[in-house]
Amino acid sequence: MNSVGLRTLLDKEVRRFLRVPGQTLLSPLVTTTLYFVVFGFSLGSRLRDVEGVPYARFIVPGLVTLGVISNAYLNTASSLFVMKLQGTIVDLLVSPLSYGQVLAGFVGAAVLRGMLVGVVMWSVAGVFTGFELAHPLMALLILLLVATAFGALGFVTAVWANSFEQVNFFPTFIITPLTFLGGVFYSARMLTPALRRFTLVNPVFYMVDGVRYGMLGLSDAHPAVGLGLVAALAALSLGVAYAMLRTGYKLRG
Amino acid sequence: MPTPVVTLRGVKKRFASFQALAGVTLDIRAGEIFALLGPNGAGKTTLISIVAGLLRASEGEVRVLGHDVVSEYRFTRRAVGLVPQEINFDPFFTVEESLRIQAGYFDVKLSEPRLVELLEALDLTQKRTANTRALSGGMKRRLLIGKALVHDPKVLFLDEPTAGVDVELRQALWRYVRVLRDRGTTIVLTTHYLEEAEELADRIGVIDRGRLLVVDDKDALMRRHAGKTLRATLAAPIGALPPELAAVGARLEANGLALAVDAAPGASFGLALAAFARSGLRVQDVETRRMRLEDVFVSLLRGGGGEQGAAAAPRETP
Repeated sequence: MNSVGLRTLLDKEVRRFLRVPGQTLLSPLVTTTLYFVVFGFSLGSRLRDVEGVPYARFIVPGLVTLGVISNAYLNTASSLFVMKLQGTIVDLLVSPLSYGQVLAGFVGAAVLRGMLVGVVMWSVAGVFTGFELAHPLMALLILLLVATAFGALGFVTAVWANSFEQVNFFPTFIITPLTFLGGVFYSARMLTPALRRFTLVNPVFYMVDGVRYGMLGLSDAHPAVGLGLVAALAALSLGVAYAMLRTGYKLRG
Repeated sequence: MPTPVVTLRGVKKRFASFQALAGVTLDIRAGEIFALLGPNGAGKTTLISIVAGLLRASEGEVRVLGHDVVSEYRFTRRAVGLVPQEINFDPFFTVEESLRIQAGYFDVKLSEPRLVELLEALDLTQKRTANTRALSGGMKRRLLIGKALVHDPKVLFLDEPTAGVDVELRQALWRYVRVLRDRGTTIVLTTHYLEEAEELADRIGVIDRGRLLVVDDKDALMRRHAGKTLRATLAAPIGALPPELAAVGARLEANGLALAVDAAPGASFGLALAAFARSGLRVQDVETRRMRLEDVFVSLLRGGGGEQGAAAAPRETP
């Protein structure tokens, strides 16, 4: 077992994002704070409580989930794609690291960055809305699975992509719309029946809902649905990424 | 005969409709410096990329120290070091960090003495803590060599190692390649600089359009393929080639003041000299020139395999 190899890759990937904290940690913090100020306080002060929770507090789980999704995805997608562009992917491809170790190194670093951003965002929000967690283990488990799923999706995208435009396609046209329409800023119960049906087929809705259950103790769907869905997505994206490594798809000619 | 370090058997590689390798069979012997020569697109980089694990062969078998490079990749990659043709560097890290990271990928904790040895050998000691972005092109290439050596590979592949490198650095790299060979590392290098192959290689393989045209000891290759040319400068110009000289294949140069005759590898100029004597021409000066590796290379490519012709199978001299 090449344990030094896995630790080296994980350590390198973590150092990489820690060396540009303005881009990797501060930027999502600023974005979240702006969401929080605009939606939570400016507009939120005009909204009544949502299911007995002040609106500013209601949106925290969704914002944290959004931060975890974006940062986990971007960490693997940008790191691996830049390695492909720079040619440093060669260093990894000639090494004896197993496919599982390569995947674990990249996804592990993505999970760390996603969770770090999530914790920072939750801490900032907590200053304004309080730090109580209804089901902390549930929140932690779902967020870890969300980070794993989207970290692996970032890996898959970076392997498949031939340009930065393709790397950005997934977050711009899939993740962001699904997240914004996935109940970050509203409860499904607030929607008209037609919009509610639309929301209920969005997988991100169940992830946000599950995290909201873990943090606030309230949810639109059964929290097990969110947990099961994100676990399935994590398994699927890890499986696809592993298959890409094993077959050498777009990596080994 | 000892087990070859690298064996390729019937290796083919296709990229869509392009056949990059068309059935290469080759053994690389332990401790040798093997130069793989060929024009652009001949298949040199494809071949070594398959051994190093960067590419997968479409057909055939590749083994390193007797182990299959696909099913036993974790073993074979520990035995192989690759210096890629394209310079790459990670601008997030310093020279030392880059070497330590690469060693880590190979499950090696780079010791301080080994790090110092590599930095000194590659003349990078002063740049140990410099960001790789700050290195010159030559330094970046040396760093690539360092990264390929961190795990002390049994066989080192150098893909155009001195492309774009100044003469002084090139000679320093050649010295270091010999040091590595003397320590027991097998070296396989591809190069466009035939002078480099002539200077360093024990054996030479010539590849073109995915086929190995010839594999031979360098000296044997030169003996077998390197003919010579006799050039005679005349005391006065002549208008036409005398028939006795035409009969031995001499040619008259454009100014009418010089004649040249080629001798096949191993042949003498006896007949040509006798023809000169019979022609009665007054010869002012004579010079002979043996073909260099570059000429042999060109002649092999033109002939599609020299004496053996275009359809010749890859040949290896025992």
